[in-house]
Formats: sequence, structure tokens, C-alpha cells
Amino acid sequence: MFGFGRKKKQATDWVDLKTQPVPEGHHLLEVNDLKMYFHTQDGVVKAVNGVSYTLDRGETLGVVGESGSGKSVTSLTIMGLIDMPPGKIEGGDVLYRGRSLVKMTEEEMEHIRGNDIAMIFQDPMTSLNPVYTIGRQLSEGMILHRGYSKQQALQRSIELLQMVGIPNAEQRVKDYPHEFSGGMRQRVMIAMALACDPDILIADEPTTALDVTIQAQIIELMQKMQEENGNAIIMITHDLGVVADIADKIMVMYAGQPVEFGTAEEIFYEPIHPYTWGLNRSIPDPVIDEKRPLTPIKGNPPSLVNAPAGCAFSPRCPYATDLCRTEQPPTYVTETGHYSRCHYAHDASFVSANAPETSRTKTMLDHAADAVAAAQEGGEA
Amino acid sequence: MADAPKPLLHVEHLCKEFPVESGLIASHMKNARKVHAVNDVSFDIMPGETFGLVGESGCGKSTTGRCIMRLTEPTSGLVEFEGKDVGKMNKRELKALRRDMQFIFQDPYASLNPRMTIGEIISEPLIIHNVMPNADERIAFVRELLDVVGLNPEHINRYPHEFSGGQRQRVGIARAFALRPKLIICDEPVSALDVSIQAQVLNLLTDLQKEYGTAYLFIAHDLSVVQHISDRVAVMYLGSMMEYSDWRSLYAEPCHPYTQSLLSAVPIPDPDVQHSRKRIILKGDPPSPIEPPSGCLFHTRCPIAQARCSSETPQLREIAPGHFCSCHFAEPNPIKDASIEL
Repeated sequence: MFGFGRKKKQATDWVDLKTQPVPEGHHLLEVNDLKMYFHTQDGVVKAVNGVSYTLDRGETLGVVGESGSGKSVTSLTIMGLIDMPPGKIEGGDVLYRGRSLVKMTEEEMEHIRGNDIAMIFQDPMTSLNPVYTIGRQLSEGMILHRGYSKQQALQRSIELLQMVGIPNAEQRVKDYPHEFSGGMRQRVMIAMALACDPDILIADEPTTALDVTIQAQIIELMQKMQEENGNAIIMITHDLGVVADIADKIMVMYAGQPVEFGTAEEIFYEPIHPYTWGLNRSIPDPVIDEKRPLTPIKGNPPSLVNAPAGCAFSPRCPYATDLCRTEQPPTYVTETGHYSRCHYAHDASFVSANAPETSRTKTMLDHAADAVAAAQEGGEA
Repeated sequence: MADAPKPLLHVEHLCKEFPVESGLIASHMKNARKVHAVNDVSFDIMPGETFGLVGESGCGKSTTGRCIMRLTEPTSGLVEFEGKDVGKMNKRELKALRRDMQFIFQDPYASLNPRMTIGEIISEPLIIHNVMPNADERIAFVRELLDVVGLNPEHINRYPHEFSGGQRQRVGIARAFALRPKLIICDEPVSALDVSIQAQVLNLLTDLQKEYGTAYLFIAHDLSVVQHISDRVAVMYLGSMMEYSDWRSLYAEPCHPYTQSLLSAVPIPDPDVQHSRKRIILKGDPPSPIEPPSGCLFHTRCPIAQARCSSETPQLREIAPGHFCSCHFAEPNPIKDASIEL
């Protein structure tokens, strides 16, 4: 808007994007065919290769995939936290309230980070600075984005710590990170991320380093905070259970590509990609009657440098054909926006023949069996 | 009791304390502070069965495994392997013991020597125990073993860094199985692996057990993995055993409030089930093992704790055949009101 060399002026005139309405025809966050490649000595690593999704306020997007599938790099790209070089955005765009984050300058991004879009990292020990008190680290964003005085910021920090359930907050605000347990540190991270009331909260494996009972506390806290603030959440995880718990929409990633995207209902009960099926069959079933043998996905994830010629999943896919091995699959989109990158996703008979049983299909089958039995009984009578 | 089957491994009142202060004088002071890592743990493992040990980080499950093999010296207690007292064994006897008892480590990156080829790594136990003095025979055996664990025998001369995490864990499994041991202690063997690879390794462990009749002590924090692989499961908290039973009754009818809350905290990958079930969310963090709570170790976080729980330590008692629980109020699903707030 303003000319060059007027950074200071620009900083004071900055209007928070989160107070602006979302332009007509746009979503809160739109990621369109985003591509982030790393140029390394070994070749080009296609870490993110054509990711697309939309997100609105109050929604939770779950991003699942194995290590190296590009789930973290996608969100780091959105935040503008990838060093370029070696990284390079090779295409696509990220629109936040209709504004392109990819085209923003570093100064503009500084207004966005922490203020509009905040992030929680996996390891709360390495992402907190060990030489500053918790209070000082919490205050930093509020002083920068909100123009609070130190005193105001400290006061607000205490409120935030109380909000995330840290007892004795007035005292704890003066403590250093090593004086907190892992679960407490993750609460501090959440308090820090929520300090400026962001529109979007990106959580990168926030509970992976924690025990299950603490994980349950943290997920509950994130849901409570979302209910109060109405922010959107992007939850990056490898745990399908966590995703089932909180996600409204799910993106399944494999080798840098989103192989399937849809609502939680669609991904869990009507999945149409063989990789999603494979994940589903790989996790132990929480049954108490009979143990079902696991059906693992064969082989290992491909190298992102020498990706397979056709579908990236074809070397491990039990249903792969010659077409899969030679040609990249197109994106098949249903009417509801559920999409899948598989040559055979549109083939309803292929899907119904190979998709795993879910709790819903089981009940449906039971009902059908009951109905048949009832009909037979009726006939006999 | 003459015709009762003899356990392969018998652990009785096993304790392990670590001094907090280092130094000769400090650690010998009468009131020196200690970490009570393992606190009076007793159990048996039968030949060919899988005994799962679950608990949160710091509950002493790994230390228990290490004490059994004397990788860590236990402070007190009895460990018997096939009726022989492991604690009294000298170096030579211990070496012989380790032919029958092997270990699979958690981190497939740290547990393989990067300077040795995988052929050397897998044949090392054979050389140490002088099982196969003939080198050609040994190489043929290692190749066969590689094939069994799902690796290409042609890769025998490759180094660990050339393999992925899942493949390295297969190397670790091949090494553990090289001597055809009777018991393998698996310390979090799949927790560093991705789900699709995790399933491969779990299936491999199950197949090898069927083939060789090896017993496993399976240590993990993932309750669904332990449920999948184990015949019997024990739950540990702050170094003590809270409950143990065969997997079916433990998962269907947990009788200890800790087991019940642990199970309810595991998110189920099925939104319909996950959204409709009742969940217990425990307050706070586990207490420090340096100053464990009085009475029942769990009473500080227990939603159904009574006055008695903080004064009287509950003993592990058999509440149903084969189902042991250390809670004063043990009964199936003891927490009735399962909507406890944060």
C-alpha cells in the first residue's frame, strides 16, 4: 500500500486482518495446489506437492500421514517459516481472508505470525526458550502485536495461564521452562499461541511427546479454547485416534501429496483411497472379543527425490495396475468436496469391494442380516 | 502344585532405587533421597506367552525389563529364570543366561553399531556364544535369518545407515532371534515406527513366536498395541504394579481406577465410538517418584479416592481367577461417574 522505505509507518498503520470480514466467495484459509520443493545436492525434494484445502472459523482440520509425508512442511510453508533457499515455492497459493500469504513481505508476515495464525510445536522443551521466564515469553507477542506495556502483558499472561489450567499462576509466571512438567509446558505453549486471540491455530503433533492421560487433558483444553474463541485449528498428527476425536475435516498425506481429503465422516466411513484403507487396517482394532490380524502396508515410503513415475503409492498398493505405475492419477472430486488421488476412486464397485469394514458397515450388515432373518421367519410362518 | 506348569520367568518383590544425589557420601547417607523406579513388582511369564507391560513414561516398565536381564542391578528382589536365581549368577552364568534371554531395544538407530555391517551385527551373538564356529555355515544362517525377518539376504554386507527405521528394527529382531532364545524382552520395539511399518513389525513378532515358541516380555506405552500382541497385560504406575490379568478381562473390565482412566484416555480411531463414549480425564501430572504419595500411589489423582487410600497401602490381590488388582475398592469399572471435569 505504501511506498518503499516506510517500514515504521507501515507498522503503525497495519490493520489486523483478523478484524476484516472474509471477502465474498472466499474462505478463512484457502490453500490452492501448494508446492514447496527443496533444492538439495541430491536433487529436488518435492516435500509438498499440490496440497489444496479450505478452512473456516470454528473448524478443525486434521492432517494425517507418516513421517516425511510433508504434513509439517505444509504448515511451515503457510507460516512462511521455511528458509528459501533451499526451499522454493514452485507453485500454488495460500489465501488468508482473501490475501495471499505467499506474496507478502517478511514485514507483513510478522504481523500475521502469532497474531492471526499461531503455531504450537511438538516438543514443548525445545520450543520454549530456557533462559527467559514463562511470563516474558508469553508477553512477547502481546507487546509486539497489541502494543501492551510490560505490566499489562504480564497481567494478561497470568490470566492466560489460569485459563489453560495452571495452578498458582501469579507465582508460576515468574518460573523458567525447566520448572514445568511436559504437560504443563504444552499448556504454556497453548497459552502463548492463544495470547493474541489468533484466527487459526496450527498444532504440529502437540501431544505426541505426552502420555495418554496428559494427551487427553491437552486435547480437551484445545477444544474448550476453540469453543470460547471460535478459532480454526489445523491439527497435524500421525495418530488416527486423535483425529477421530477432534477433526471436522481430514487430509491424508502421502509422499508430499494429499491422497485423500474429506469430512471426518467421509474419511472414516467412506474412504476411497487405498492408502487410507491401508492405514485403517494397520492399526490394532480395540476389540475385546476376537483379535483381528493386522494387514500392514507392504514396503516403505518412497524417496521424495526419485518419486515413482506414476502414483506415488503404486509400489505399495495391493491394487496397483500398469496405469497406476505409469501415470499420475488425477484428482477425483465428489459433489461434497471429498477428493482422492486414485485412478479408481470414481469406480464405486472397486471401492465397495476393497474398502475396509467400519463400525457403520458392520452395523448395517448386522441390520441387513437381521432383516433377512426376520423376512425368512415371516415367510416360514 | 506338582503338576502346575512351571513359569519360564519368575519375578518376586523386585525393587530398584536410584540415588538422586551422586557421590559416595551423599548416596550413603541414611536419609539420602532416592528415585523409587521399581517398587515391589512380582509376576510370572510362562513359556511361549506374551506378557505386556504398560504404563506412562517414568513408571518403571523399562527398568523392570533391564533388571530382569541384569543390565541394571536390582536393589532387591528375586528373579528366577527356569528356576535359577539370576541375581546370584556370576559372569559366566550370566553369559549363558543371555543365550536364552535376549533384548530388542526401542531405538533402531541407536541400538545398531554403525561401523558393522548387518551381517556382522546379526552373527555377533553366534560368535560370542560360539554356536557356529564355521564361518560359511554362519553366513548361510544369517542369510536365512534375514529372509525370515523380511530383509533381502543380498543386503548382508550393507551398513545400518542404508536402511529405514522399520528395516533396522528387523535387523534388531534378527539379532535377538539368532540364538533361538526362550525369552525376548522387547522394550518399546515399535514406538519409533510409523503405523504402517509398526503393523509389519508386530506381525513379524507374532509369526516368529508361532514358529519358535519364544516368550515375550513386551514393554510399551501404547495400550492398543499391547492389547493386540499380549496374552496377559500388567499396568504399572510410579514403579508399582496396579493391575494384571489376561488381556480380555483387563481391557473389558478394568478393576483399578487407574487402568480404567488410562483406557478411557486412549482416543479410538472411530468418530462414532469416540464421540459417544464416556471419558475420564485425570487431573494433574503423575507425582514425583522421589517422594511417592503415602498409601495408594494413585490416590492423588484418583477420582474415587477415600480417606483410607492416603493412609493404607493396598496390596495386590486376586479379585477374580487370574485377575490381580491393588485397589481397596477394586471392582469392574470402579469409576461410575465418568464425566470428570478438567
